Amino acid sequence: MTQGKAEYVKGTLDLLILKIVALGPNHGYAIAQRLQQISKDFFQIHQGSLYPALHRLEDRGWLEAEWKDTETGRDAKFYTLTRKGRKHLEAELVNWERLTEAVALVLRTAE
Amino acid sequence: MHWVRRLFQKSRTEKHLDEELRFHLEQQIADYVAAGLRVDEARRRAQLEFGGLERVKEEVRDARWETHLDNLLRDFRYAFRSLRRDHSFSLTAIFALALGVGSCTIVFSVVYSALFDALPYKHFGRSVVVKMHNLANGGDLKDRKYFSPEEVRAFREQNHVFEDIIVYHGFRPSYDNGHFIHNFSFGMLVTTNTFDYLGVPPLLGRTISQEDGSPNAPPVFVMNYRLWQREFAGDPKTLNTTFILNGKPTTLVGIMPLQFNAFGTNFWEPFSPDQISGSLMGRLRPGVSVQTAAADLDAIAHRMHKANPGGIFAEDKFAIVPETLLDSLIGDFKKTLYALLGAVLLLLLIACSNVANLFLARATARQREIAMRATLGATHGRLIRQLLVESSVLASTASVAGWVLAYFGLKVVVALIPAGTLPEETVIRMHMPVLFLSLGLTILTTIFCGLAPALHVLRGELQPRLAGSGKASGGALGHGKLRAVLVVGEVALSLVLLTGAGLLMRSFFVLTRVDLGFDPKNVVYFQLNLSPSYFFKWGDTASIKNSLEKKNALTRQLLARMQALPGVTSVSELNNPPPLTSETSDTIIPGKPHAERWETTIDECSEGYFRTLGLPLLRGRLLSVDDASSARHVAVVNETFARKYFANEDALGHKVKFGNLDLPFVETPHDIYFEIVGIVRDFKTRDYVNPSWQTVPQAFMPYSVAGYSWRSFMARSAVDPKLLLKNFGQELRDLDPSVEIAESGTLESSLHKFYRGPQFELVTIASFAGIGLALVLIGIFSVMAYTVALRTHEIGVRVALGAQQTNILRLVLLNGFRLVAIGVLIGLLASYELTRFLASQISGVSATDPLTFAAVVTVIVLVALAACLLPARRAAAVDPLVALRYE
Repeated sequence: MTQGKAEYVKGTLDLLILKIVALGPNHGYAIAQRLQQISKDFFQIHQGSLYPALHRLEDRGWLEAEWKDTETGRDAKFYTLTRKGRKHLEAELVNWERLTEAVALVLRTAE
Repeated sequence: MHWVRRLFQKSRTEKHLDEELRFHLEQQIADYVAAGLRVDEARRRAQLEFGGLERVKEEVRDARWETHLDNLLRDFRYAFRSLRRDHSFSLTAIFALALGVGSCTIVFSVVYSALFDALPYKHFGRSVVVKMHNLANGGDLKDRKYFSPEEVRAFREQNHVFEDIIVYHGFRPSYDNGHFIHNFSFGMLVTTNTFDYLGVPPLLGRTISQEDGSPNAPPVFVMNYRLWQREFAGDPKTLNTTFILNGKPTTLVGIMPLQFNAFGTNFWEPFSPDQISGSLMGRLRPGVSVQTAAADLDAIAHRMHKANPGGIFAEDKFAIVPETLLDSLIGDFKKTLYALLGAVLLLLLIACSNVANLFLARATARQREIAMRATLGATHGRLIRQLLVESSVLASTASVAGWVLAYFGLKVVVALIPAGTLPEETVIRMHMPVLFLSLGLTILTTIFCGLAPALHVLRGELQPRLAGSGKASGGALGHGKLRAVLVVGEVALSLVLLTGAGLLMRSFFVLTRVDLGFDPKNVVYFQLNLSPSYFFKWGDTASIKNSLEKKNALTRQLLARMQALPGVTSVSELNNPPPLTSETSDTIIPGKPHAERWETTIDECSEGYFRTLGLPLLRGRLLSVDDASSARHVAVVNETFARKYFANEDALGHKVKFGNLDLPFVETPHDIYFEIVGIVRDFKTRDYVNPSWQTVPQAFMPYSVAGYSWRSFMARSAVDPKLLLKNFGQELRDLDPSVEIAESGTLESSLHKFYRGPQFELVTIASFAGIGLALVLIGIFSVMAYTVALRTHEIGVRVALGAQQTNILRLVLLNGFRLVAIGVLIGLLASYELTRFLASQISGVSATDPLTFAAVVTVIVLVALAACLLPARRAAAVDPLVALRYE
């Protein structure tokens, strides 16, 4: 991830991960891939940020982890959103919308 | 619970993390291969992107809480190891802290128990007792606490400051147990709201209720635990039995728990509703100050006085002075507590400087270790956490040691507190808030002392410290200065403490070694407990006269029988055994007007008084047997009386009147002028409040003029006087079996009682000063030893260049003494300012007594010398060859 983008991501990485996991249980690699795809390559999450974040979210009880077989038959750690995580995500989404709206408003009005 | 599992299956967690990250890597490689890269190229690129596997793992671990716990445990292990390795440091620091914290815990416990948890009563902090203070120059009593029914009613109805008011009045009824009638204890008449006001439930039965106060209610009373145990062996069947009190059948309806001891009496009876008079206690509304209450009550009292002049204070010159209940109970002990608090805080400061000093020395020695760890990648946060853990391990150990010390120390202190200084309800023990306070204090101290030097090291450049030899490097210089400041501070603080202790000691010697002017050896005294047959009816002149004659007859007969016993040298009747003065009276001498109040301590006694005490006659004559038997209006006065009131005249032959005898409620003939017939030498007296000895105007009249029920006797003997008490008791029983001996003792033992208050303060403060001195000794020693160790190289060079052992000795000693001298100077200035606060508690010696100051300086200098000597000798013994090779 490049320097400039890192600034945006700092507080929002947790939110993005939760949102991706909310689409369905997934392992770390797939989460990073999905994030990159959906954001059209804007977010390229480094492992050094991704895995600490995943473990932190698991620690807080927002994600649950389970070892399962992938399609290729290999064992991988799959993350699922917990009920607590879903609640948190919803709250965060509302916050995020408010924030972006407010920022947009300021930017537009101040022109 | 998967987090518990994770904690205990660390290897599994690690394995899973490894697998998870490897899976990621392999997926990436597979994707690159699928995109058309060669396998080795794909692996290279994926690995490059991934960065170090270990680094990612480390970052993941940091995100998980069990790692922090793990690190913390590791920090604890490391802290224990390093404290054990440096055990002389650890033990000294723990010792100093434990002494400081232990002493603080003791004093805090006493202060907390005596000021904040003293009484078991509801909101006792807002309870005030009301006193009327006489502002007139002449006239009657100085204070009065008794309020008439009209005054009580006015205060109850018109005040704006109290939530609730209770009234109580002491009485001593006779008790007819079917065999004989006697006074079994002191009781109180109380208003019916009293028990509700105090808010303590009864142990058995019930308390006095509203209905008990109604005019036709059957008489009831409530008993305290002590009397119940003493007289009735704690038998629950005593409850609801009927006692004949003052000839009136009264039912015991309740027994109060041991802690309940309101007004220091043994039982409580309700007032009859139309006779509520006595002492007043009120609970202030929340937020109302004692001053506001004083103004409100004062206005009521003055309004009453204007509407209806007269009463005890004839003039309109009086003030209502409320005092908090606690103040009225512990009074001057509060000052002692504040002095102790001051002393113990000084001690804590000394202990802190000591610990700070030790930590500084240690930090300097550890510079290299810290610099090394920082260079190897330990973050500042990590290092600080490590040091914090170390500090808190030390603090906790010291706290526990301090508590153990305080637990035993508190027992000693409680045993030392003189009986009667604290209310009987007060139990001194360690309270949780106090323990937490002391723990907090210790942790704060250690963290402050431990972390500050470490931060100092971290802030600076690491490189030179790493390169330097760690001990002799330049960084030590800054610390050296700080250490010197700490030593100076310690010496100064300790000097203040020692001066306080020294002044108390001097004052104590003055107090106990003073020439009292009378000879207390071999004198016993006892007080009579007269039975109701000696009492009189209020307002019945015949009954009063009869009572007076009966009392005087008993006194005369008892004196004669006592005198006849073998071994008895002389006997006397009196009001109060010296040196205590209790009855102070306004003094009126015809033809001698005076602006200020003239006060004389009066005593009604028999002719043997002067001989029994060994008071020499200076002029005129003493009281004679005839004076006593025919109640002549004559008086013997002391030197001070004659000098103060008759300056250049001869006092003999003049007449004098004492205001107390004219008081309306005293069983005395009024308006008597006594002729002064003799002058005796002064002796020293004191009262309950003021600890110092005083010489006051005194006058002695024949006991037979007044009909007091308060009768005391004393006797001087050639043998051990205590043996005589039994014989006196026998003689008394022969005369009248209904009269008993109440209190008794020797004059010497009652003198010792006065010394116990000052003794308590002296012993505690002197102990703290001693501990402080020991800490200073350790402090100076450790700093000097450290400085010598630092300068071994330099000393080696000096010796190699030809310095003599004596030169080296002088060098080190001078170095130490410079610090001590500055400390002594600062300490002297501080003492000069601070001992003023002790002035009210010392007597016979000035608060800036030069002798005490000189002695204290000598002690400090000697201790400092001892502390410097060992390191100095070690320095002088430095072998230059070893010293130079040392680097």
